[in-house]
Amino acid sequence: MSEYVIEMLNITKEFPGIKANDNITLQLKHGEVHALLGENGAGKSTLMSVLFGLYQPEAGVIKKDGKEVKINNPNDANALHIGMVHQHFKLVEIFTVLDNIILGAEPNKLGFLKKAEARKKVLELSEKYGLQVDPDAKIEDISVGMQQRVEILKMLYRDNDILIFDEPTAVLTPQEIDELMEIMRNFTKEGKSILFITHKLNEIMAVADRCTVLRKGKYMGTVNIKDTTKEELSRMMVGRDVKFEVDKKPQKLGDVVLDVQHVTVPSKLHSNNAVKDVSFQVRAGEIVCLAGIEGNGQTQFVYALTGLDKMSHGKITMLGHDITKAKIRERSKLGMSHIPEDRHKHGLVLDFSLEQNLVLQRYWQPQFQKYGFIKNKEVRKYAERLIRENDIRSGQGPITVARSMSGGNQQKAIVAREIDKNPELLVAVQPTRGLDVGAIEGVHKQLVAQRDAGKAVLLVSLELEEVMSVPDRILVMYEGEIVGEFDPKKTTVQELGLYMAGAKNMYRDVEQKGGAEA
Amino acid sequence: MSTLNVGIVIADIISSTIVFAVPLLLVAMGGMFSERSGIINIALEGIMIIGALMGCLMMRWLDPAVTSGQLGSQLGMLIASLFAGVCGMAFSVLLAFASINLKADQTIGGTALNMLAPALAIVLTWVVQGQGQTTILIPTWSRITQATLGFAAKENFLHTLLFKNMYLTTFMTVILFAAAVILMYKTKFGLRLRSCGEHPQAAASVGINVFKMRYAGVLISGFLGGIGGLAFTLAAGSGFQSSVAGYGFLALAVMIFGNWKPWSILGASLFFALFKVIGAYATTLQNLGPFFNVLFGWPAKIGIKEGQSTYFWPMLPYIVTMILLVLTSKKSRAPKAEGRA
Amino acid sequence: MKKGLISVLSSVISILVGLLFGLLLLIIVNPAQAFPKFGEMLTAGVSSAPKFAKVLYQAAPLIMTGLSVAFAFKTGLFNIGASGQYTVGAFCALACGIIFQMPWWVCLLASVVAGAVWGFFPGLFKSLFNVNEVITSIMFNWIGMMAVNLLCMNLLKGGLNIMLPTAWVSSPIKDRTAALSYANPNAMIPKMGLDKLFNSNFMNISIFIAIIVAVIMWVILNRTTFGYELKACGFNKNASIYAGINAKRNIVLSMVIAGALAGLGGGIYYLAGTAEYTIQKVLLSMGFNGISVALLATSNPIGTIFSALFISYIQVGGESLQPVFAKEMIDIIIAVIIYLSAFALLTKTILSKYIRLDKSNVNAEPAPVVAAPKPAEPAKSAESEGEQA
Repeated sequence: MSEYVIEMLNITKEFPGIKANDNITLQLKHGEVHALLGENGAGKSTLMSVLFGLYQPEAGVIKKDGKEVKINNPNDANALHIGMVHQHFKLVEIFTVLDNIILGAEPNKLGFLKKAEARKKVLELSEKYGLQVDPDAKIEDISVGMQQRVEILKMLYRDNDILIFDEPTAVLTPQEIDELMEIMRNFTKEGKSILFITHKLNEIMAVADRCTVLRKGKYMGTVNIKDTTKEELSRMMVGRDVKFEVDKKPQKLGDVVLDVQHVTVPSKLHSNNAVKDVSFQVRAGEIVCLAGIEGNGQTQFVYALTGLDKMSHGKITMLGHDITKAKIRERSKLGMSHIPEDRHKHGLVLDFSLEQNLVLQRYWQPQFQKYGFIKNKEVRKYAERLIRENDIRSGQGPITVARSMSGGNQQKAIVAREIDKNPELLVAVQPTRGLDVGAIEGVHKQLVAQRDAGKAVLLVSLELEEVMSVPDRILVMYEGEIVGEFDPKKTTVQELGLYMAGAKNMYRDVEQKGGAEA
Repeated sequence: MSTLNVGIVIADIISSTIVFAVPLLLVAMGGMFSERSGIINIALEGIMIIGALMGCLMMRWLDPAVTSGQLGSQLGMLIASLFAGVCGMAFSVLLAFASINLKADQTIGGTALNMLAPALAIVLTWVVQGQGQTTILIPTWSRITQATLGFAAKENFLHTLLFKNMYLTTFMTVILFAAAVILMYKTKFGLRLRSCGEHPQAAASVGINVFKMRYAGVLISGFLGGIGGLAFTLAAGSGFQSSVAGYGFLALAVMIFGNWKPWSILGASLFFALFKVIGAYATTLQNLGPFFNVLFGWPAKIGIKEGQSTYFWPMLPYIVTMILLVLTSKKSRAPKAEGRA
Repeated sequence: MKKGLISVLSSVISILVGLLFGLLLLIIVNPAQAFPKFGEMLTAGVSSAPKFAKVLYQAAPLIMTGLSVAFAFKTGLFNIGASGQYTVGAFCALACGIIFQMPWWVCLLASVVAGAVWGFFPGLFKSLFNVNEVITSIMFNWIGMMAVNLLCMNLLKGGLNIMLPTAWVSSPIKDRTAALSYANPNAMIPKMGLDKLFNSNFMNISIFIAIIVAVIMWVILNRTTFGYELKACGFNKNASIYAGINAKRNIVLSMVIAGALAGLGGGIYYLAGTAEYTIQKVLLSMGFNGISVALLATSNPIGTIFSALFISYIQVGGESLQPVFAKEMIDIIIAVIIYLSAFALLTKTILSKYIRLDKSNVNAEPAPVVAAPKPAEPAKSAESEGEQA
C-alpha cells in the first residue's frame, strides 16, 4: 500500500485571466493532519475544490492509495471517502440537523426515507466523537459551533476517512477551537487523514504534522512542523518578512467625536438582544478597535451606528449632535463614513460603472448635480482623480462595470470613496478582508493617516494581528457586550483571547462558563 | 325566486366551491414543486391553457368512441386528463430549458410562454375545427352524473352535493394531493428537491444533481398545471376558448398565500374558491331571506343598480386575497434560492 | 457605443428568428397560402397611408405601456399590472370627458392620475409589507377591470347611464361607452390636420406625445439624480440604503410613475375617439403587450419607441393574415421573440466575442471578463451567490 492516501500531483487550474493553481503538488499521508497554508487568494480553496470534484483541473493527476482516480463531482469524492467542511457551511437553514446530515446519502426503502434508522446512526456517531447536536433542531436556530459539528457529522455519517477542513476556526471561540483540535487528533488516532486549510500559524503549530505552503497559486514546498518555526512558515507564505508594526505619529487626542451610550439592538434571529448596553467614546486623533470573534454583535452594532438598522435603547451622539434617530444621509452629512463589512451587499452597486460607484455617497452634492441633473463631466473628472490617486485598476477605467473588477480593486474603490469624503468619523468594518498583504498595508496606512490628520476612526476587526498593530485602543466585544478595554502596547494576544472567548470580563465577575456554549 | 330551497343552494355552493378549488389546488401545488426546487414558474397560466387545450381536443377525438359505447366515459376522461398533464409537462420543458440550461431570466421566459400558449391554442383550434371556430365544446359525458352510476336523479341536498359538479378530475386531485404531500415530505426525492430551492450549493456539495432536480420540479408543475387547466375548463362549463381566465396567476397567489406548503395551499384554494362562488351567487342569495339580504344586499344601498351587482361581487375574491396577502406577509417565506440560476 | 450595438443586434436576431418561426408555422398550417400571406403581413404596415396611420395609432399606447414596464424594470420591479393601470386610466379619461365635459388635456391628466393611483398600491404593499408586486399587480388588474365595468354600468345622471350611448343618442348598444364624437368632441385628442395628411381617422398627435414622454423618461433615468437613485435601488437595494437613498419611497415612486405611464396610454388610446371602451370579461392585452415592448427594448426608454412601432407594425400586418390564418399568429411570433430575448445575456456574450469591446484604459488589468469568476478569489465564486441573497 502506498504511503500516501491522497496525492495531488502537478495540479494546474486556470480561470480567465488568472492561474489559480500553477503546478501544485500535495501528498497526504495516512493518519496525519496536513495543513495547507496560504494567504487569501493563494489558491487553497481552488485546490480543495479540485479535490472535491467541484472544479476540473487543466493539468495534473489525483491518486488515491497510489491509483490514479478521476473526481468529476462531489459524488465521486464521496465514493473515495473524501469529505469536506466548507468555510461557508453548506447547510439548509430551514431543515433539521438530521435532514441536513442525511441529505444526499438518505437511507431509504423504495425512495421512502427511513429516518429512524438515520437518527440512530447520527446519535451513535455524535456520542462516539463527543459531537453534541440536537437532531430535531433547525439549523437557523442553532449556534455556529453546533452548525460546524453538523458539518463534521455529515462527513462521519458518510464514513469518510479523508477529511478536509476549510478555514474551520474563523467562526469559533478559542475554547471551541481547542475542542476542534482535540477532535481532529482523535480522528487521526482512528486512522483518518485530515487536510486542514488555514492562514493561522498558531493553529498549524498546535495540531499539524506537516504543512504545504502556497503563494499566489504556486507551490512553495512542504515542511515537517517539528522541523520548522512560525517565522519560517510565515516567510514561505508571504515571500518576505512580514512587518506587523504600523508606523504611527505620536498621538494628539482631540475632542470626543463619537459618544455611544447604552446602545441595545434586538436580534433578528432570536429573542435575545444582539447588542447589549454598549457605551464608549471615540475621540479625534485616535483609532479605536472593536475586536471579537465573528458573530458577537459587532455587525449589528455597526448597523445601528451607521443607521442601517434601528436600536431599541441608548443614545448616539456625534460631534455634539444626537444622531440616535438620524437618517443615514444625515449621518453622512455630519461627517460619518462607512467602509461596510460586505462590499457586495452594501458597498457597491455591482451593475453600476466604477465612476457611478465612486459618487455613490455624494452624487447629490452641488459638485455633481444641478437642479437634479447629474453633471457627468464632473463625475468623470472626480472618478479619474480617485482612480489615479488610489491606483484602482480596472478594464475600462471609469466606465468599467464594478462587477467585472477584482475583489481587491473593488475594496480599494470603496476605501477611496469613503476616505475622500474627508470624514470626521471613519467606521471601517473589516476593511482588509480578502486583500493581499500589500493592499492590507495600504489600507492600514490610510487609516493611520486619518488618525494623524486628527480624525476619529472606529475599526471593527476579527484579525488579531490587525487588532494588535493598528489601533490606539481596543474594545473587546463578547455576546453583544463590551467586556474589556485594552492598550495594544500593554496587552497580549493571549489576554485578548480570554476576553474574546467570554472567559473574562473587566466589568463583572464571570462564572467559568467554558463549554456552556458547546 | 324566494321559493328556492336553502339546502339545495348550500349543497350547490359547496359542490361549486370544490369544483373551482380543484384547478387552483392542482396548479398551486404545481407551482409549489417548481418554486421549491428553485424555479419561479410564472408560466402556470400558459401551462394551464395548453393542458386545457390538449385535454379538450382529446375529449373531442374520443367523443365518437364514447358516444358509441366502445369506451367508458370516465376511462375517456382519465385518458384526456393524463394527456392534458403530459402536454402541460411538455410545454413546461420550454421554461425549464430557458431557466435551467440557459440560466435566462425566469420571469421573462415565463411571460413569453404565457403569451405563446393562448395564441397557439387559437391557431390550433382553428386548424382542428376550421376557420373562426374558437370554442371547443365539452362533451356532456365528461361529468359524472347519476346516470353514469346508474341512479335516478333526485332534487335533494345529497344529490346536488354529489352530482351537480362532479368530475373525475376531483377524485384525481384527492389522490394527486396525497401523493404530492408524501412525495414532498416522506421521500428522498422531496428532501432533495426542497434543498435545491433553499441552498443549491449545499445540495450540489453532497452530490445532488441540482440541474435534474429542478427539471423534475418544473416538469411536475407542468403535469399538475396541465391537468389543472382541464379541470378549470370543466368547472367553467362553457367550453374551451383559449383562456383560463387568469386562474394560473390566481394559483400563484394561492401558492404564496399558502406559504409554499401543501396543506396551507389546500386551505387557501378552498377559501378562494368559496369567495369566488359566493361572489357568483350573491344575487341569488339575496333572494333567499333576510339574513342573506343583509349580507349581500348592501351594494344596492350604495347606489349599485338592481342586477348590476354581477359587476361587483366578482371583485370580492381578489380584494379578499389582496388583504390576506398583506396581513400574512410577515409570516410569508419564499424558498430562499428561487429565481436564482 | 459598441455595447448599444450589441444590444440592438441581439434584439434584431431575436426578431428574425421569431419571424422565421412564424413563417414555418404558416407553412405547416397552410403551405399554399403561407408565402403570399407572410409577405402581405410584412408589408401591410406600409402598404398605404391609412395603414401606416394605424401603425402609429396603436404604437402610441404601446409605447406608454412599454415605458411603464421598462421604468419599473429599471427599479427592479416587474409591473405586470400595466393592464389594470391602462384600463383605469382609460376609464378616468373617458369619464372626465363624458361626465364632466372636460377638454382633452384635462382628460389625459385624469388618466395619468388614475394610473398612478393604481400603481401606487402595489408599490406601497411591496415597500411596507414586502408583498410580491407581481401578485399584487395581477390582483389589481382584475379589481381595476371589474371596478371600471361596475362604474360604467352604474354612473347615473337624470336616471340615465351617463357613460353609455343611451344617455346621448337612441342606441341599442349597452356594452360600451358613448362615443366621444357626440358626447364631447372637445375631449378628443387634436388631429392637427394629420388625419387629412394620412387620410385616416386614426391619426392624431398621440404618437408625438408618446415619443416626448419616452424621451423625458430617458432623461430622468440617465441624466438625473432621481434616475440614479432609482437604478441604484433596482440593482442593489441594500447598497442604495447604505448610500442614504430612501429605497422604500423609491419603490413606491417607481410604481406610481409606471402606473401613470400606463394610465396615460389608456387615455391616449380611448381619447382618439375611434374606439369606445367595451365592457370586458378579460384583461386588456395592451398592458401585457407592454411587457413585450419593454423586453424587446431591453428596458431602454428610447428603445421602447422602436420596439412598440415594430410590434404595432406586425400586429397591423396580422390583420391581413385573416381570415386564412388566425391573427394570433402574430402573438406567437411576439412570444417567440420574447422567449429568445430572455437569453439576451447569452446572445450578447456570443456577439461580444465577435465584436471586440474597445479598451481605452491605460492601466487595464489582465483580461477582466464580465460574468467570469472573480479573479482574486476564484474558488469562492460558487459560494458568493449565497452570500448576496
